[in-house]
Amino acid sequence: MTGTPTVATAPAKPRPRLRLARFRDLALVPAIVVLLVVGAIIDPVFLSKANLVNVLQQQTELSLLVLAEAIILIAGKFDLSLESTIGLAPALALGLVIPSASHGLGTEWPTALAIPLCLLTGAVIGAFNGLLILRFRLSAFIVTLGMLIVLRGLQIGLTGGQNLFDIPPSVLYLGNATWLGLPASIWICAILFAAGILALSFLRAGRAVYAIGGNVDAARAAGIRTDRVVWIVLIIGGLLAALAGLLMTGRLGSVAAAQGQGMIFTVFAAAVIGGVSLDGGKGTLFGALCGVLVLGLINNILTLGGVSAQWIQAIYGAIILAALILARLTSGKAQD
Amino acid sequence: MRYKFRSALAAVLILSTAAACGDSSTGSAAGGNSKPPIGVDLPRADSDFWNSYAKYVPQFAGELGINMMPPTNSQNDVAKLVANTQALVSQGAKAIVMAPQDTGAIASTLTTLESKKIPVVTVDTRPDKGKVFMVVRADNRAYGQKACEFLGDKLGGKGKVIEFQGSLSSINGRDRSEAFADCMKSKFPGITVFAEPTEWEGAKAAAALQTRLAQHPDIKGIYMQAGGVFLAPTLQVLKSKGLLVPPTDPKHIFAVSNDGIPQEYESIRKGEIDATVSQPADLYAKYALFYAKAALDGKTFQPGPTDHDSTIVDVGNGNLEDQLAAPLVTKDNVDDKTLWGNQI
Repeated sequence: MTGTPTVATAPAKPRPRLRLARFRDLALVPAIVVLLVVGAIIDPVFLSKANLVNVLQQQTELSLLVLAEAIILIAGKFDLSLESTIGLAPALALGLVIPSASHGLGTEWPTALAIPLCLLTGAVIGAFNGLLILRFRLSAFIVTLGMLIVLRGLQIGLTGGQNLFDIPPSVLYLGNATWLGLPASIWICAILFAAGILALSFLRAGRAVYAIGGNVDAARAAGIRTDRVVWIVLIIGGLLAALAGLLMTGRLGSVAAAQGQGMIFTVFAAAVIGGVSLDGGKGTLFGALCGVLVLGLINNILTLGGVSAQWIQAIYGAIILAALILARLTSGKAQD
Repeated sequence: MRYKFRSALAAVLILSTAAACGDSSTGSAAGGNSKPPIGVDLPRADSDFWNSYAKYVPQFAGELGINMMPPTNSQNDVAKLVANTQALVSQGAKAIVMAPQDTGAIASTLTTLESKKIPVVTVDTRPDKGKVFMVVRADNRAYGQKACEFLGDKLGGKGKVIEFQGSLSSINGRDRSEAFADCMKSKFPGITVFAEPTEWEGAKAAAALQTRLAQHPDIKGIYMQAGGVFLAPTLQVLKSKGLLVPPTDPKHIFAVSNDGIPQEYESIRKGEIDATVSQPADLYAKYALFYAKAALDGKTFQPGPTDHDSTIVDVGNGNLEDQLAAPLVTKDNVDDKTLWGNQI
C-alpha cells in the first residue's frame, strides 16, 4: 500500500529537468558564470570594468558576423563569404576615397562617401549571393565558398595586397568613439542584437525566417514569399558584415589585406555553441550572443593566465568542448 | 526562364575557365630567351614587405641579366608552393627561388628538385630538411637580440615588456622569440616579459595589449615582431588609452618593431614608436637572384664573410646561409636614403 501514493503524486509534479529544457536560450549562462568565476580566481583584474569592457569591445566585430550568420542559418542557408566582406567592403570604400599615394584607386571621391560606400558594398555582395543561390538555384555552401575566395582576391587585387593605413577620421569614428562611457561599437552591437531578437520573435517577417528554415515548402504553402525573405536576409547579412568591417577598421586603425581571414570558423563555432542549428529553423539570437561571449571570455582568461604560446590552441579548443558539454548537461537537450 | 539562366550560367563558367587557361599559358612565353630560365615563387601578396620584394625581383633580374620566368604566387600555402614549383619545372625552369613560409613541409619538393639537378635558393626562411644551394636570409635571431638590447637599455634594465610573437610554426617567429627571450633572461633579468601569441594577426595583438594594459598599467615596453601587421593596431590601442605620447613624457611606452616599412619610419619620426629593425627586401631580391644565377654558372661558395657586409654560415645538412645585415633604425638614422622603406 505504501507504494500507491508515490505513484499517484509523481506525474502531477513536472520534473525540474524538463522545465529547464524549455529555456534553451539560457543553456550557456551557466558556462558564462563558470568562466566569470574562473577568471576572477586567475586574476582579480578580470572583473574590473576596464577589462570587461575590453572583452566586449574585442568581440563586437565577431558578434555582428555571428548575428548575420545566425539569421542566415535560421533561414536554412549558409554564408561563408562574410569573412571576406569584412575586409573587402572597407578596403573598396577606402580605396575609392583615399589618394593613390596611400594605395588608393585614384578616384579620390569625397571622404564622406566612405561609410555609405562600405555599407553599399556589403549589401551588393549579399544581393549577389542571393542572385546565385535563389535565382540560379546553386548550393549556398559552394556559392559563398566561391565568393569567399573571389572577394578576398578582389581585395588583394584592388589594394595591390597593401595594408591601408591612411584612414579618414570619419571611418575611424565608429570603431573608436566612446558614447556614455562605453565604446560606441558595444552600443551598436547591443542595439542591433536587441532589434534582431525582437524582429525574429515578434515580427511577421521574423517568424517567416524560422518557418522557411524549418520547412521551406510548408512556408511557401502558408503564403510566405520565401525567396524574397531569404534574399533580404542575405542582404542584411552582407550589410552587417560591412558594418563589422567598419568597426574593425576603426579599432585597429588600418585595413589589413588579410582582415577577417579565418574568422568564419569562429563565427560558426559561436553560433553553434549558442544553439543555432546548422540545418535551419532552430536557435535564437540571444543564444548566439552567449556563444560570442563565451569565446571572448575564454580568450581573455587565457591571455590573463599567461598560457604558453605552444599550448594556447589546444587549451582553447578543449575549453570550447567543455562549454558545449556543460550546455548539454544544463539544458538537457540534444544538440544538433 | 530557368533554361535561360542555366545556359547563361554555363557560359559564364566556360568563359572563366577559358580565361584562367589563357592566363597560365602566358607563363611559358619566357622560353624564347637563350639563357636558362629561372623560376621565382612569391610567398604571399598580402603584406607590404613581400609586395616590396615582389617589386624588386624583376628590377634586379634586369640588372643581373637574368632570364626570369613570370613569378608565381603561393599565397602562404605550402600546397600551392609545391604545385607552383612543379609547374615552373615543367615550363623549363633551371633554377628556382622560393620563400617557403612552412619550413617543414617543403622537404620532399626539395628532394625532387635535387634529383632533377635544379638548384634552389630559399629567401627569408631556411628549410628544416632538404638540400638547397643557398639560403638568403636576414639573421632573425639578431632581430630579437637588437629589440631586446634597445628596450632593455631604454627601460634601464627593469620594468614590464609585452611582446607580440609571430607564428611559432615559422622559423622566423621562433628565432625572434627565442633570441628575445634569451637576451632578456641573460642581460636584463629585472625585466618581466609577457609573450603574446598572435599568429601574425593584428586583431589578436590589439586584444592582448588591451588586456595586459588593464592587468598591468605599468607596462613600459612593446616588442612587435612584424610592423606590417602590428603597428596600426598597437598605435590605435595606445591612442585610445591616452598613451601615445612623445618619448620625453614619462607615460611613454617604448616600442620596437621589425620589418622596416614606410609607416614604421613615419611613426618613428613622429615619436610614436622608437625603433625598428629593417628587413632588407631589396637585398633579399638581389641576392636570391644573384645566387640562383651563380648556381647555374657553376660557382660554389664557402662559409665566411662576403663582399656585401654579410656572412655565409654553414647551417648543417651541407646547406649554406648568407645572413644579410639588418640595420636597427631609430630617430637618428630614420631618414637614411639607403633603407628600402625610404625608396618606395
